[in-house]
Amino acid sequence: MTRHSDPTQVQLTADGRLKHFLTTEGLSKDLLTEILDLADSFISTQERAVKKVPLLRGKTVVNLFFENSTRTRSTFELAAKRLSADILNLDIARSATSKGETLMDTLWNLEAMYSDMFVVRHADSGAAHFIAEQVTPGVAIINAGDGRHAHPTQAMLDMLTIRRHKGTLEGQTVAIVGDILHSRVARSQIHALHTLGAKEIRVIGPATLVPKEMEELGAKIYFDMEQGLAGVDVVIMLRLQKERMSDALLPSEGEYFKLYGLTEAKLALAKPDAIVMHPGPINRGVEIDSAVADGDQSVILNQVSYGIAVRMAVMAMAMSGQAAEQAAQKNESQETTGDDA
Amino acid sequence: MSTFTITRAQLMDPSQGLNELSDIIIEDGVISKISKAGSTEPSSHQFDAQNTLLLPGLIDLSCHINSIVSETRAAARGGVSLLCTQPNSKPIVDTPADVSSIQQASDQANNSQILPLGALTQGLEGDQLANMVSLKQAGCIALSNARAPIKNALVLRRIMEYAKTHDILIMLTAEDHDLSANGKMHEGPTANRLGLAGIAEVAETTALAQQILLVELTGCRVHFSQISCARSVEMIKAAQDKGLPISADVAIANLLYSDCDVNGFDSTFHVQPPLRSEQDRKALLAGINDGILAICSNHQARDIAAKKAPFAAAEPGMSTLDSWLSMMLTLVAKGELELNSMINACSILPAKILGLEAGLKEQQQANLVIVDQAADVCFGADDLASIGKNNPVLGEPLKGKVCLTLSYGCEVFRA
Repeated sequence: MTRHSDPTQVQLTADGRLKHFLTTEGLSKDLLTEILDLADSFISTQERAVKKVPLLRGKTVVNLFFENSTRTRSTFELAAKRLSADILNLDIARSATSKGETLMDTLWNLEAMYSDMFVVRHADSGAAHFIAEQVTPGVAIINAGDGRHAHPTQAMLDMLTIRRHKGTLEGQTVAIVGDILHSRVARSQIHALHTLGAKEIRVIGPATLVPKEMEELGAKIYFDMEQGLAGVDVVIMLRLQKERMSDALLPSEGEYFKLYGLTEAKLALAKPDAIVMHPGPINRGVEIDSAVADGDQSVILNQVSYGIAVRMAVMAMAMSGQAAEQAAQKNESQETTGDDA
Repeated sequence: MSTFTITRAQLMDPSQGLNELSDIIIEDGVISKISKAGSTEPSSHQFDAQNTLLLPGLIDLSCHINSIVSETRAAARGGVSLLCTQPNSKPIVDTPADVSSIQQASDQANNSQILPLGALTQGLEGDQLANMVSLKQAGCIALSNARAPIKNALVLRRIMEYAKTHDILIMLTAEDHDLSANGKMHEGPTANRLGLAGIAEVAETTALAQQILLVELTGCRVHFSQISCARSVEMIKAAQDKGLPISADVAIANLLYSDCDVNGFDSTFHVQPPLRSEQDRKALLAGINDGILAICSNHQARDIAAKKAPFAAAEPGMSTLDSWLSMMLTLVAKGELELNSMINACSILPAKILGLEAGLKEQQQANLVIVDQAADVCFGADDLASIGKNNPVLGEPLKGKVCLTLSYGCEVFRA
């Protein structure tokens, strides 16, 4: 039986470099800042006519999506291509596991193809962490969303968005509104905001969608949106899934919008220069009014373009962390052989 | 006549207030004489138990077993004399024929002997009563629905009334399956951090409240298997104080671990009932130290593939039989569990619940275990007789080494 270790530490090399990217939890401020700085530098390359950099040339990246997601998968694909990697898209949701193959079988098959990196999305919390512990050393795992647990690249692109629009994350008051319970994005954002020095993190929604344990992650709970938005610098709206009504978590989209939908009137309670974010895809008229989504304070489309840069950054960093670790281990084993001789 | 003598054993039996250095003579599987150490003539077939404890054999109120030979051997290694097997095996134990095939296999295996639990409902489906009297006549010591849901309160009421009519002991798990639906671990800060769907305390306590009220109505004798919450201990105690014919046990996993142990997504800790908070763990230990609760192994061997998956997708269950007594003695060594309470909880109380002879007395079948309480032990995967290596203590230092186990007078394990 594999004994699983602390999920926050599995992603680091012995000397604290990123080798997988599984969660924003437990990563240092320096490391998160390094991701943002590198992503920033990639944004400028994205504006050039020739967008490619050769950091992952000769490497094979496999997009392993056990859950369908066109958008996240496309941005990872673009990010890998702009790093000059070869990319393979596997739509597992419709193939192997539905034929009874276990996750481990799938993994062993893919390893046999000598891949260097798996970008994993899976409906089970902890799936990326599980795969990171099972894969051959040297293969990097990037978490593209696991259950309700973490979606660290989304959280980091949100941090980048805030930093680029607000100059810094320090001292910001950030409200996250909506379905916190089911949101891997919210959990990853809270950890990252906390580490990067946000002044206050608020989560806003009804008790059916906001677990009281969020307070232990350092967030302040508001059931009343007007109170929750008062004086905030950043408003992050979360997508509301249709299933929430049939699961008896909410009465209707209409009542939800009335209480927690972001309208111009509610946004006026935030600071005048507050920005509005959304991980997408947005439900107009359900969690956000069109006027706000398309308004001056909305930075939703900027988030999408920063997404590629952030994914390039973590892919490059994890690959280089893996390479450094492999080299260190090779040196170590050579030294051992030397001693024996 | 075969005679077996155990000499110089520190015999402990809290049911009789015994704690003395003793010699025991066993003739044809029956304890014929218990006397002060040194008073027995040397015999050819003798076991010197110096510096060890001799306890009444462990009686496991709940384990889940498919492979009888390997798992009863694991039980013998763990100091278990008798074990109640849940009916959710393959096949489900809901007919007398299923019962006799288990009994035969248990006889043949010649390890710790099985006391089979029969199903309360046909196919464990929760709606039609199994042939409860026939199952009892076939040798089921009690009937249980494992953790499968009983359709509704009406069916449960009927089960209790019918069981009461025929003096059948029933074992129930307290779980509201609507409230626990899709849950993978205890609802609390760890579940929230890991993004795993939680099983709230009320999933257990609302069901328990309903079941206790139905016991009050029907007068049926009910044993609650594997309670996991502090609140449940209070409820059990209050009901017992009221004079209701109920008892309860706790799985060893819930005494050793809490929801914090799930932190690394380790699927070994994916169990039912879930590991609760540290406060619950403490309350369960207090319930045992107060003599209210029994301890069961709730052993469930899983193959490697069943556990080698992300936490939520891994099958629940923990393999505990091989290490059960060592796990408990480790809690004793840590000062969390009193030795007398431990013996009461894993042998005396289970015997009383099942209507068996409790403790160690002359003219009783020899069900006993000799254990070196102070010995350090560490289990590796290859040390386990169980086919399930999903045991969280592998590689961990524990206290207490089982030296000898007798089941119905037969030597089933000797270290």
